[in-house]
Amino acid sequence: MVRWVRPLSARPDETAEVLGAKAHGLVTLHRLGLPVPPGFVVTTEACRAFLHRGRLPDGLHAELTTAMGGLETATGRRFGGTRTPLAVSVRSGASVSMPGMMDTILNLGLTTDATTALAAETGDAWFALESRSRLLSTFAAALTGGAADSGVLARRDTADGPARLTSEIAAIEAVIERRHGRAVPDDALAQLELAVETVFSSWDTPRARTYRELHGIPHDLGTAVIVQAMVYGNRDEHSGTGVAFSRDPNTGENVPFGDVLFAHQGDDVVSGRTPTRPLRELGAREPAVWAALVDALARIERHDRDACYVEFTFQSGELWLLQARPGRFVGGAAVRVATELADEGLITRQEALLRVSPQHLRHARTPRIAPSAQADILARGIGACPGTAVGKIATTTDAAIRMAVDGPVILVRPETSPHDMAGLAAAAGIVTARGGAASHAAVVARAMAKPAVVGIGDLAVGPTGIRADGRFIGAGTLVTIDGTSGEVALGSPGIVTDTADAHLRRLLTWADEVSGDQSEREEAERLAAAQAALRQARSS
Amino acid sequence: MSPSESPQYGDRLLVLHALRCAGYSGIARVSAATGLDESDVESELIDLALDGHVTRLGGEFGGWGLTEAGRAADAERIGHELDSAGARPAVTASYERFMVLNPELLDLCTAWQLRPVDGVTTINDHGDSAYDARVLDRFTELHDRVVPICGELAAALPRFARYRTRLADALDRARKGELEYVADGIGSYHTVWAELHEDLLATLGISRW
Repeated sequence: MVRWVRPLSARPDETAEVLGAKAHGLVTLHRLGLPVPPGFVVTTEACRAFLHRGRLPDGLHAELTTAMGGLETATGRRFGGTRTPLAVSVRSGASVSMPGMMDTILNLGLTTDATTALAAETGDAWFALESRSRLLSTFAAALTGGAADSGVLARRDTADGPARLTSEIAAIEAVIERRHGRAVPDDALAQLELAVETVFSSWDTPRARTYRELHGIPHDLGTAVIVQAMVYGNRDEHSGTGVAFSRDPNTGENVPFGDVLFAHQGDDVVSGRTPTRPLRELGAREPAVWAALVDALARIERHDRDACYVEFTFQSGELWLLQARPGRFVGGAAVRVATELADEGLITRQEALLRVSPQHLRHARTPRIAPSAQADILARGIGACPGTAVGKIATTTDAAIRMAVDGPVILVRPETSPHDMAGLAAAAGIVTARGGAASHAAVVARAMAKPAVVGIGDLAVGPTGIRADGRFIGAGTLVTIDGTSGEVALGSPGIVTDTADAHLRRLLTWADEVSGDQSEREEAERLAAAQAALRQARSS
Repeated sequence: MSPSESPQYGDRLLVLHALRCAGYSGIARVSAATGLDESDVESELIDLALDGHVTRLGGEFGGWGLTEAGRAADAERIGHELDSAGARPAVTASYERFMVLNPELLDLCTAWQLRPVDGVTTINDHGDSAYDARVLDRFTELHDRVVPICGELAAALPRFARYRTRLADALDRARKGELEYVADGIGSYHTVWAELHEDLLATLGISRW
């Protein structure tokens, strides 16, 4: 009897509690007829058994072997095989969202022999070695809790690229042996069991426990593990990976928005290690992939009746979806999406009113670079502290302190360290090339209530200026930053606090119709009154 | 006694290295970082300035900072101190354990500053003392795990002992209601932690980028 594993298909009628939210979303994509790599799910129940007993449950080994056999049949490839080898991704997926807290392992099954076989099959030694290197670095991060970058800079376009990759692989293997005490097994099924165990264990890391404590999530839910045939974003120049929103999360405008990375694998986009390109470039470079993506976004929107977010990979011109979830827009964007979805007839006006929280109205008033302004956008990163700031570029703390005497300064750094504290204090706004929303720069910016943009992959900082968008911009040049959208614009484009004004007015008109109260009140109050009336009508 | 073993030389290196780890600082801050009296700090800074190793930048956000020569001198002396104490393997091991905790500290600072309200990430206005207490409990739990690392470091190189004292002091103040000691001021837990991170990188000669 099958206890711990479920196929990833349109068929199973299992809840998100058993499959995890990510796998549950993939089942929905299957039902919509969208392209999802074949795979299977190890249930949250198996995770709970593992956490309880400290080892994988009895019978799981046999079920994994059987499920992998099915995947071999479905793909016509052999797991760990010496010809047409099958590799898989192994991802966590709990029933509740815990972003970035648990592990993902890519290219699993690329043993030494399978890597040789993949190189022979594709005639591309670089691709096969890079994929094995990624397997080991994702395993290293999961097993040892730290990154294992070897510092070896291998490049595809150099003659010694494969040789450098080989030494990089050896370096990562050494790190794993030293920190973990054991090597990653060179047997595909043993790798799979270790990966499942590792993902299950990642449910209980201190970071994950802290996240659950702070967000009121029970500790005993466990995570599911999703095993899927790999699709390779690094396969060739018609391959790549990206993330996409069905609508612009900054404004709510009904145009697809996101990032794409050509000829790379998935975790490069999310980690911010490699500069991404705006999603619209996909349309020019891979029109068929773009058309399939736009169609998929529209179908998911119609099904969810909400803006959505997807993670995707395309391999040799073919699109695959790896994850889909609601867009979770905030501020003015949430107001605009709710209003327009009602206009499009996807939701009712009552539903639109219930989807916008009074918190969103407050955020809708945060100063922003005006969307209508023909702003010259130099770079886009992660908005780490909302608000806008205008000032001259300083690229060192010393320069920021000196220049701040004459007027506002934007401190632009590769990343910040304690050495930059005085510069951060002197600056009106902060920009960094590296780091995410929890980086040193982001934490300090919020402590000082200064607009900040972090994690701009496509930004180089030198002593005399910065390079972004292929342009050199000298220190002292005036720029404007938007800590909500993560945009950095040249000069001083218009700033507004009413980006969603027209939509907000209409939504509040609907609110007053529902509450029957037309008196002069705060915006949040008008919305709250309508929501109270709607909830009362529903419960009675 | 060789010059590098004299107490004066030791104090001078402490002051030089404090600026290496903390960036531009006033005398009070260097005093807090090193545990030396302010008058001793000032005297060392003046000597270091005469050597061309530190400089004073004016303006509201200025202070004492390293020159390029000072940075190079610090790297050389700190490296010498590490290797002559035979402490490189121990400090490297502690650094690796510290780096496992580092993302947790950043998570906690973020949770202190931002929290989801109705699904919207919002600046924490510290109006919900139960939430703040939950976050501070997690800080305390993390602190309990970083203390042994500080202990190992202090055993390898005594100057690291200051971090344990400073971190404990910041946490203690935060728990007694001085909330700016979590992530806001120059004496805050986040700032001291970041200085320790920078110190480990500087001591081991690891570059950030």
